[in-house]
Amino acid sequence: MTDQTELRAALRERAAHVPASSIDRLVHHDYHPRTRLMRPPVAIGALATAGAAGAVAVVISLSAGASNAFAGWSPTPTPPGPKQLAAANADCQTQSPIAGLPLKLSDTRGPFTFSVYADANASATCIKGPAFTAVSGNESSAPISVPAGHILLSSSHTANRAGDAYSFADGRAGDGVSAVTLTLDDGSQVQATVANGWFVAWWPDTQAVKSAAITTPTGMTTQTFPAASQAPCGPQPCPSGGFSQSSGFSGGGGGANVSGFSEAGGSSKGGRRSR
Amino acid sequence: MDHRRADFENFVAHNTDALVRTAYLIVWDLPEAEDLVQETLLKVAGRWHRVRRMEHPVAYARRILVNLALSGADRRGRRRRELTGEPPPERGDDSPESGAIDTQDELMRALAALPPRQRTVLVLRYFLDLPEAEVAAAMKCSLGTVKSTASRGLARLEQTLRTTNDTRSIPT
Repeated sequence: MTDQTELRAALRERAAHVPASSIDRLVHHDYHPRTRLMRPPVAIGALATAGAAGAVAVVISLSAGASNAFAGWSPTPTPPGPKQLAAANADCQTQSPIAGLPLKLSDTRGPFTFSVYADANASATCIKGPAFTAVSGNESSAPISVPAGHILLSSSHTANRAGDAYSFADGRAGDGVSAVTLTLDDGSQVQATVANGWFVAWWPDTQAVKSAAITTPTGMTTQTFPAASQAPCGPQPCPSGGFSQSSGFSGGGGGANVSGFSEAGGSSKGGRRSR
Repeated sequence: MDHRRADFENFVAHNTDALVRTAYLIVWDLPEAEDLVQETLLKVAGRWHRVRRMEHPVAYARRILVNLALSGADRRGRRRRELTGEPPPERGDDSPESGAIDTQDELMRALAALPPRQRTVLVLRYFLDLPEAEVAAAMKCSLGTVKSTASRGLARLEQTLRTTNDTRSIPT
């Protein structure tokens, strides 16, 4: 005689086959979130605080070994290759931690495409290269506005699984900002892509942004950014999946800005663990 | 934001066990279950600022898990057919080699042979002991669909078991 009690017992018996190590491994996987370390903002003027910012996941997936991971990168944007933007957009939309955001700009440097998706309260970034794709996002409880001629800069560095570190700076650009050139701590310069009220630039290694030259209809201004109070990854490249963040706003207090981080490795699809 | 991280870690610590065992019973495969739970938790993490304010965050996670499991079921079946050139096996991968008739073993084999949606309903209903309304919410279907799917699943179990032992029956 089999009844529902027996069915329940069979299911419990089968469920008991799951080893404790399986549970333990999943519980201790680092999903989320790590708080961004804030670079002290250059506080002049006033900006409505962004309020409590939501945390989102950063997912990095690698599809191949990453030696020479950034071959083809250039300090100035390059024209996209055939279907490069479409391929990046398709991949990024699939993996984006915040769905439904419109594309604001795409920065292409050789085979790499850095895309920004955003609305008034949220943004997601995605960098797609030949060997990896990384996505991240931020949400704030109030719309973020940036005064004309200014930028709200958020800069981070991270590394892929092979330990190749790279940094990026992105953010909202106020009205009239037509070009942004970043000067890094080592004196090198990286020209950002600017469009639709956003700018973005990225570069191999962990150099921080020292200043930004901002072009507006009235001329060029330079914003400086103080060094971060802490170097999260030290002088060496971040460990695989490491993540640090600094941000600053030239014309205001700088909103609280956090980001979560989690990593999926191995296979080409974020969220899948390699075995 | 430390409290938010602590909230999420607490959520993971308290719910992963049940999520993995539920996933294991639905897909009948441990590595696949682990992948599904990891993907589920990543999705929950990405929306945690909203999920943590829900009355039952675990119900939301369960809905993601079930959706991922069922949306992948057809794909897994097709992949298996492509690899082997034959339909998926009718039995679970750990069917006993022994020829001895054991009620629980036969029941497990019958469960393994159920279509994914029928097995999912039975797992949610009889392993997690969820009310039918919560099963419907987890599977994003109507209450009537839950009842009919459970009824068909139980009937199919009974039919399978009858082929080996006519004395068994499963009341619905």
